[in-house]
Amino acid sequence: MGDLSYPDVVQFAIPGFIALILAEFLWIHFKGKGGRYETRDAVASLLMGAGNVAEGILLGFVGWWVYMALWDATPLDLGTSWAVVALCFVLDDLRYYWVHRMGHRSRWVWASHVNHHSSQHYNLTTALRQTWTGTITFMFIVRAPLVLLGFHPAMIVFVGGLNLIYQFWIHTEAIGRMPKWFEAVMNTPSHHRVHHGRNPRYLDANYAGVFIVWDKMFGTYVPELDSEKPEYGLVHNLGTFNPLRVAFHEWVGIWKDATQRGISMRHRVMYALAPPGWSHDNSRDMSPAIKAKYLQRHPEARGTPGFTDL
Amino acid sequence: MPLHILLILVGGGIAGLAVLLHLLGHSRRFDLSDAGTARAEWLRHWPTDQVAHVYLGTKAALIDTPQGPGLLRPFGADTVGHRLAEVTETARGLRLSFADFAAPAIILPLPPETRALWLRVWSESQNG
Repeated sequence: MGDLSYPDVVQFAIPGFIALILAEFLWIHFKGKGGRYETRDAVASLLMGAGNVAEGILLGFVGWWVYMALWDATPLDLGTSWAVVALCFVLDDLRYYWVHRMGHRSRWVWASHVNHHSSQHYNLTTALRQTWTGTITFMFIVRAPLVLLGFHPAMIVFVGGLNLIYQFWIHTEAIGRMPKWFEAVMNTPSHHRVHHGRNPRYLDANYAGVFIVWDKMFGTYVPELDSEKPEYGLVHNLGTFNPLRVAFHEWVGIWKDATQRGISMRHRVMYALAPPGWSHDNSRDMSPAIKAKYLQRHPEARGTPGFTDL
Repeated sequence: MPLHILLILVGGGIAGLAVLLHLLGHSRRFDLSDAGTARAEWLRHWPTDQVAHVYLGTKAALIDTPQGPGLLRPFGADTVGHRLAEVTETARGLRLSFADFAAPAIILPLPPETRALWLRVWSESQNG
């Protein structure tokens, strides 16, 4: 079964992405509600998406070689039934949750993921504002257990593509809330707006890809409050639309921090691996400090969603 | 999908959307013409700051805070605010740089009196 293949669903979805972006934009423009579009922001997001596809073409073989080596080594083979594909989809979504969570809790992975959060807008183009440096984080290795359990690498890549396609439509303000049963189980525009919020309340929440149940299980779920609209972007927003700077700025930041004079080797490693905002002299704030400072200014928020642990 | 079809789709899609957005008026910059808006926008970016003074320029605002002066400027339909790392005078205007690779230095062609004022504010901040 070494030559099993599935269609490259992400490439086939590109015409659909373009059509839906056009539809969302025209809806927002003519209705005057449901989000915002800005020319340079949208172009930057789309160029990031194009670069992500190019990176996949150029470097995708690295992860693939690792998966195939593991596939040759494992004695397990679960076959290719639809039940196995469905199970693979669910387990890969669990994998996505943890990789995504790590992407916000370790600067090494954040350096790759940060560009996805770097727009102050939230529309369907934001969904395509994807990393150019995913391979060099080596997070593809987190899929290794799936291969060793007997899921064929082609199947894993296939369901990963379906996962990415699912996440496209949730990057919109044009949809308010889905039916309650759907909101309870699935990741939705409302849940994901929270994830993109830079409000202290919404930091480090809702890492789900497809199933929001992972956040509810692992304690990272925060609902979108009608009383507090998410404000999109980074804690410290970028001052450029240049895709090269968007793609590499955090890597440059790690390099500058880790190579500064007068700090220990432990500090250098921490600048690369510790959560975003870590600094050896406490001159910067990580998420818990940002939330704590918010509560000092707004003590009435203590105990409300996003602040229940503080 | 053949690579040339993919390239046409992606290139055409990006260019087409850019033209459409621009023609329908979605390239307008944030209007930063009053001090109240500038103050509110700075606090949106730096919520723990105290704004001591807002110095409006033609396309940006110098924000003086106890934490040091910073520049607030339109960024598409939004704004960005960054603390200043260096201010120097050039033939084309003030060159303002920031200690952040994601915020490249800019040159602002300010009127002479605004340029002198901003240089004085920057200089005083450096002298404590």
